[in-house]
Amino acid sequence: MPHIDTELERLKTKLLEMWDLVEYQLQSGREAMLNADQELAKHIIKRDRKVNQFDVKIDRMCEKFFALFTPVAVDLRMVLAVLKINANLERIGDTAEGIARFSKKLEAPVDPQLLEVTKVLPMYEEALAMFATCRQAFKENDTVLAKTLIKRDKALDKIYRKSDSIVTTYMRDNPDKISEALAVLSIIKKVERVGDQITNIAEEIIFYREAKVVKHKSDKKKKKD
Amino acid sequence: MSKTASKLEAIDLNAYYGDFHALKNINIDMEEKAVTAFIGPSGCGKSTFLRTFNRMNDYIEGFRVEGQILIGGQDIYQKNVRVDELRKEVGMVFQKPNPFPKSIYENVVYGLKIQGIKKKSVLEEAAETSLKRAALWDEVKDKLHKSALALSGGQQQRLCIARALAISPSVLLMDEPASALDPISTAKVEELIYELKNDYTIVIVTHNMQQAGRVSDSTAFFYMGELVEYAKTKTMFTSPKDNRTQNYITGRFG
Repeated sequence: MPHIDTELERLKTKLLEMWDLVEYQLQSGREAMLNADQELAKHIIKRDRKVNQFDVKIDRMCEKFFALFTPVAVDLRMVLAVLKINANLERIGDTAEGIARFSKKLEAPVDPQLLEVTKVLPMYEEALAMFATCRQAFKENDTVLAKTLIKRDKALDKIYRKSDSIVTTYMRDNPDKISEALAVLSIIKKVERVGDQITNIAEEIIFYREAKVVKHKSDKKKKKD
Repeated sequence: MSKTASKLEAIDLNAYYGDFHALKNINIDMEEKAVTAFIGPSGCGKSTFLRTFNRMNDYIEGFRVEGQILIGGQDIYQKNVRVDELRKEVGMVFQKPNPFPKSIYENVVYGLKIQGIKKKSVLEEAAETSLKRAALWDEVKDKLHKSALALSGGQQQRLCIARALAISPSVLLMDEPASALDPISTAKVEELIYELKNDYTIVIVTHNMQQAGRVSDSTAFFYMGELVEYAKTKTMFTSPKDNRTQNYITGRFG
C-alpha cells in the first residue's frame, strides 16, 4: 500500500474510533435519561474529555497530512471531509454530554406518559440508528446510504416541531412535573441537533466521494442531483 | 515589449519519431495571456508537444507531424513559415539554465544582435527592460558586463527568461524551468511566470504538481501520447474527471 494510503487509512481508523466513542456516549445518554441514572450521567460528562482528545488528535493528524502530503483531488476531499466530520462528531459528543446534564437533574425516571406523548424515545432511537448508518456510509464509502440520511432527518424535525405545544399541554395538565417536562423538551431539542449534525456528516461523505456540494441546497435540487 | 499575446491551438495533431507514434490526435485550445501547464509521466509526450509550438523537433531525424499547430490562428507548419521568424514569436526556456559564456548584457541582447540591431541605445534599453521584466535587474544592474556564468542557478534561469523576452515574443514555452532550482529561486521564477502572463501566453511543462497548481490557469494531462484531460487547474486538482488523471496527480500511478 502506498505511504499516502497508509496515512489516510490511519486517519479513517482514528475517526471511526471516535465515532464508536460518541455512539457510546449517545446510547448512555439515552439510558441516563430513561432511568434518571445520575451515576451514569456523571460518567458521560467525564468521558466527554476523551471525545475532545480525539477531536484535537484528529485535527493534528489532518494538519500534518496537509503539510507533509499536500493532497489533491480525492485525497484532499477526504481530509477536508474528515476535518468537518471530526468537528461534527465533537459537537454530537457535546450534545450527549448536555443530555447527561439534563438527566442528572431528573430526580426520578421520566413519567412514561410524558415519554409517550412527546415521542422522545422513538426520536432518540431514530437518531441513534441514523448515527450508526452514517458510520457505515463513511466506512464503506456508500453515498447512496449517506443520501438516505438527509431524508430521514425530516422525521426528527417533525417530532421536534410538535414538541413545544405537546410539552406545554403536558405542563398545564401536570403542573407538578414542570421541571421534568422542561428537561425532556431540552433533550428533544438536542436530539434534533444531532439529526442536523448527522446530515452535515452525510453531506461531507457525498462531497468526499462524488465531489458534489449538497449542503445548503433546496430539497428539490438535492433530489435532482 | 511583447506583441499581442497569441492563442495556441492544436488540431488533430499527430507526431512521430520514425515508427513511434509520440502524440495521438491532440486537440487543444489554449487561451492567450494565461498559463497552461502540461503534466504527465516521463515519456508521455508533453515535451514533444511543447516543442511543436516552436518547431524545435524539426531537427530530430525521423520526426514528423500531421495536423495543425496554430499560433494566433496561423498554421506554423505551413511551408511558407520561416522558422527563424517563428522563433521571434515563441521564446523558450529550458530545464537547466543555459546562459552563453558571455556577459550578462551580451546574453540578453544576443537575439536582437543576430536580428541585425546594432544601435547601442536600443540594445541597452531592451536589456534593461527585459531584465526588469525577468525580476533580475536590481541584482545585476551594477555588473552587466560580468560573466553570466558567475550568477547563481536561479539568477541564470531568470537571465535566460530575460533573454527570451528581449526578442519580444508573444508566446513563452517553459520546459521544467524550475526543476534545477532551489525553493527560493523556484518561488521567484513562479512569481515571475505569474507576472508575465499579463502580457504573454505561457506554456509550462512541469513534474511538480504543486507548481502546476500554483502558477497555471489550465492544466493538460498527457499519458502515452494522448491528451487525457484538459481543464481549469482548480478543477483538475480538486475533482478531475478521468481516473488516470486522479491516479497521476495523487501519486498512485502504475
